Amino acid sequence: MTINPDEIVLFQWGWFKINSTIAFTWLVILFLTFGSWLITKKLSSAGELSRWQNLLEVLINGIKLQIREVSRQEPGPYLPFVGTLFIFIAMSNILAIVPGYVPPTSSLSTTAALAICVFIAVPVFGIASQGVLNYLRQYLQPTFFMLPFNLIGELSRTLALAVRLYGNMMSGTIIVAILLTITPLLFPVVMQALGLLTGLIQAYIFAILAMVYISSASKAHEEIAKKGEE
Amino acid sequence: MIIDWYTIIFQIINFMILVFLLRRFLYGPVIRAMDDREKKIIQREKDASAKKKQAEEEAQRYQSQKAALKEQEEEIFEKAQAAAEKQKRELLDQARQEVDQTKRRWQESFEREKETFISELRRRIGQQACAVARSCLKDLADTRLEKLIWEVFLNKLKNLPEEDRLELKKALEAEGGTITLKSAFETKPGQLKELEKALEKLFSDAGADFKLAAAIEEGLICGLELDAGGYRLAWSMDSYLEDVEEQVLKELEQNALSGQKAGAEGEVSGNGRS
Repeated sequence: MTINPDEIVLFQWGWFKINSTIAFTWLVILFLTFGSWLITKKLSSAGELSRWQNLLEVLINGIKLQIREVSRQEPGPYLPFVGTLFIFIAMSNILAIVPGYVPPTSSLSTTAALAICVFIAVPVFGIASQGVLNYLRQYLQPTFFMLPFNLIGELSRTLALAVRLYGNMMSGTIIVAILLTITPLLFPVVMQALGLLTGLIQAYIFAILAMVYISSASKAHEEIAKKGEE
Repeated sequence: MIIDWYTIIFQIINFMILVFLLRRFLYGPVIRAMDDREKKIIQREKDASAKKKQAEEEAQRYQSQKAALKEQEEEIFEKAQAAAEKQKRELLDQARQEVDQTKRRWQESFEREKETFISELRRRIGQQACAVARSCLKDLADTRLEKLIWEVFLNKLKNLPEEDRLELKKALEAEGGTITLKSAFETKPGQLKELEKALEKLFSDAGADFKLAAAIEEGLICGLELDAGGYRLAWSMDSYLEDVEEQVLKELEQNALSGQKAGAEGEVSGNGRS
């Protein structure tokens, strides 16, 4: 039994290889993209809504609402990034009930990649909203001596993001695998259901934390803007 | 090693692609659709509020129109009522007037009839009274009375005023000189002679000649009448009685007139009270 899906190599050509993490990620990407395309190609802006359009609208509205609540800013610019984090992780985790499917999120490489994306997105959004100098000045707050701690904090929370998701997802998979060997069929099913819940919660936590980090980087600017208005 | 940098980079790229794809196929269209719908809803609400406002205005206008109509209706009704009242009053007045007129006419005719009856009655009474006197005198008439009458008549003829004398003469000429003496009793020849003498004396200056004739007329009551065609000289109780009758009737009529006047005044004041 392999714990790391990265090690399952499905295709290799020289240095180029396709392991199961990448393959299942592509699968999820395809699934999401095709599904979205299928639903959104016949959207209606008036009259009755198709139930799929309704589902998507509820989902996107929910995400927007969460972003607004957490960041106290308009969700527009953050929606594609934070929303995609949530949808991708949630879909990856939900598909775990399909037999033979290995969630890409149970690979530390995937979670690390997502965490690195957040790590990069925080300064990008921060600089976009308040400029380079203002953003960099944040690391010197409240004093110059806090710079190393701020940097360490930045790195450690990225690491925590990656490991939290990975740990949860991997443990879910492994627990089911272990239980299957020692208990009858019924109990692993319960654990699977619990795994779905955990997967959704983890997707939510990951997206919310990413939003919190991004908004904290761009908040200073908003506060300055507010003071200026006052 | 759990972390595979090759996979990490691959996954980062994958994630970027997914962000792009979802942005292209999910967020964009859905948000656009939602915004469109929101815009349409706002538009519809605006339309609805505009229409509501319009409807309210319409309703208000309608209300005011209704009120005006009602007012007009009341006005018309009042006018009609007033007109009806007026007409009623007029009709009543007319009816009352007609009744009054009829009553007055009836009263008048009644009065007239009454008066006619009363005047007739008075006349009859007068006539009757005279007739009684007449028959009384008739019964009393005899030769002695006749003689007296004769004397009185002759006396009258002798003392005839100048005007009457001329008139008698004129009439005598027109008639052809015939004078008829009418009396209730038979005339004696002596008496006729006496009369002739008196007449001759009367016409002595004129020198007129005449013929004297005698005739008996029962209607004369103890009287004599000299008829010379157009002129008539008479003395009889009848003429006195006629005078008396005339006088009595005149008196009675005057009484009746004054009585009628008083009655009419009473009627007028009586009408005024009603």
